[in-house]
Amino acid sequence: MNGRTPSAAGVGGLAGRRLAAGAVVIISLVSAAALLRAPAQAETAGIFDPSSLGTNDGGQIFARICQGCHMTDAGGAVGAGHYPALAKDPTLASRQYMALTILMGRRNMPAFGAQHAIGFVAPPATLTDEQIAAVINYVRSHFGNRYKDSITAAEVAALDRPRR
Amino acid sequence: MNKAGTSVSRRRLLTTIGLSAGSAAMYQAMHSLGFAAETKFSGPLRLSAAPPDASVLVLGAGIAGMVAAYELRNAGYRVQVLEYNSRAGGRNWTLRGGDRFTELGGEAQECRFDPGLYINPGPWRLPYHHRGMLSYCRRLGVALEPFVQINYNAYVHSAKAFGGKPQRWRVVKADYHGHVAELLAKATQGGSLDGGVTAEDREKLLDSLRMWGALDKNLRYVTGATSGDRRGYERDPGGGLSGRPVLSPPVGLTDLLDSGLWAALALGEIYDMQTTMFQPVGGMGRVGEAFGRELAPLIRYQAKVVDIHQDERGVRVTYEDTAAGSSRQTAQADWCVCTIPLSILGQIPMNVGGPMAAAIAAVPYCTSVKVGLQFKRRFWEEDEQIYGGVTYTDLPIGQISYPSSGFFAAGKGVVLGAYIWDMMNSLQFTSMTPAQRVAKAVEYGSLIHPQYREEFENGMSVAWHRVPSAMGCFGLWSEETRAQHYDNLCGFDGRIVLAGEHASYLPAWQEGAVTSALDAVDRLHRRAVAAGAAA
Repeated sequence: MNGRTPSAAGVGGLAGRRLAAGAVVIISLVSAAALLRAPAQAETAGIFDPSSLGTNDGGQIFARICQGCHMTDAGGAVGAGHYPALAKDPTLASRQYMALTILMGRRNMPAFGAQHAIGFVAPPATLTDEQIAAVINYVRSHFGNRYKDSITAAEVAALDRPRR
Repeated sequence: MNKAGTSVSRRRLLTTIGLSAGSAAMYQAMHSLGFAAETKFSGPLRLSAAPPDASVLVLGAGIAGMVAAYELRNAGYRVQVLEYNSRAGGRNWTLRGGDRFTELGGEAQECRFDPGLYINPGPWRLPYHHRGMLSYCRRLGVALEPFVQINYNAYVHSAKAFGGKPQRWRVVKADYHGHVAELLAKATQGGSLDGGVTAEDREKLLDSLRMWGALDKNLRYVTGATSGDRRGYERDPGGGLSGRPVLSPPVGLTDLLDSGLWAALALGEIYDMQTTMFQPVGGMGRVGEAFGRELAPLIRYQAKVVDIHQDERGVRVTYEDTAAGSSRQTAQADWCVCTIPLSILGQIPMNVGGPMAAAIAAVPYCTSVKVGLQFKRRFWEEDEQIYGGVTYTDLPIGQISYPSSGFFAAGKGVVLGAYIWDMMNSLQFTSMTPAQRVAKAVEYGSLIHPQYREEFENGMSVAWHRVPSAMGCFGLWSEETRAQHYDNLCGFDGRIVLAGEHASYLPAWQEGAVTSALDAVDRLHRRAVAAGAAA
């Protein structure tokens, strides 16, 4: 990018600094080869895939993602600014509004719609339409919210969302 | 020999290497920070005298706010700074033993690190070309020391490669370069490179590949003295009868490519992370503390801004004195430099026009998390000869960074046990309690350093979306949002101008805060002088 060419002057010494052939012993390749073929540790299986939460359970999704800001009891929090409470929240009357907020993000809340990946800085968190529907239905029926209707993954999928 | 067939397969392989080198998500975050332009800083700002009695209200005592206040005060403006926290620095911040931190949600942590040990929850390193930050450190008397970014003896690690066993950076780098050089050399010799290489260039290219890749005299990257001189030895050369070195065999190309570990190698090449990097002695927070001392008479702490109002005469800011039962007060000035993070500013009523308001609302914030861990001894030095630098991993902790100071010290040490960028992981860490984050960092880290289990003592964790004064780590711009909103964010709206890393092309870097503040102050001064002349 910066167009500078490395100077060749600093490299010459490397070529000259070789050990005399024959002053070395070559070890067996067996141990290294065996190491390379060893399977990944079983105890670490399944925890590394950042592309998916691996659950469609609304309560699980809330506890692992949403409560980071909206807090365990969905009560929100207040500092220099605030995170809105989702408990007893009248704005959740519109399930589509909630879905759009999750898909597109809002201010410092990241967008979770797969099509709305933030351009380049941090690998985004994306939720599937099923996961978004599940967490909406969970929040709208917990934390003092008693909405009778629910949303389906197909409804989430049908919502317009920004495309890149 | 079927030249056409082999050359195609070589070309295809090289193309694959090139393509996949850009696709490793686990290192994408760090890569992206390197696409920044060089700092615009070209020496201390020289403002002419301020118009008589001109005043400026600065919102936020982070780096941007304090740079603005410092320069405007020096030019003769009456300056007042309002700060939400009870300390100066903002995200420039160091946690040391005895510090308390209460995050949103009410969980409080007391730092139990030993004296002299710390973590920087926010910025932690200064590139040599971030001349603005370095200049303020010099002027404020903040001592700097080297920050080790690349350590050839630290690890690159994938839970899915080499049986989960961490590999030395040095070895992966040597083997990757060696294999690529050998392939290129073969292609060059076989005449299968696609044009552009003259006979004369061909010999030079082969010479350079031999040197760059540590190839032997037959242009092969194989077990031998030449490769050993890069990747190291099974047993290092020494003296006397016991000094005969034992060579170590290179990892095969296929295994190396499959491992994905090569993706970390570019990090040391990134402009923002090239040697030499620096850190303030005693923690990055030393910069904010020094600014705070310098500007002490100007700063009002524990002031929570709740309304920003401007008219043709000036700016009036309403704030709550959180130390005094949230009583409401106002501050007024001719001009306002607002450095409040957009994550918070977007919630504060402020009468600016549509374009700036839309820009403020358009920038989500990164959800990064850091965890600091104190251990009973510096086992990474004692057992593994790792002195500073970073181990990169595809575990959720992202990386482990070893302290760049106190080498060989007896006693305890603190490492950065997690620095989590990718948002799915960092959001899940944010959703945990501070204690759970620390426990997870220990659990994952022990897969790289088994000593963790025995040596761990205590830890601190900071999830930036839970930091009351920031509610996010830094502004996440995309090309699209930048094209649409950036100029509107940075331009004056009446008597208000914004500054901070969010108003820069250096996201997350303090140099972005410095240069945006200087840019804003310069424009403010010209307006003020013009207005003063007209009055």
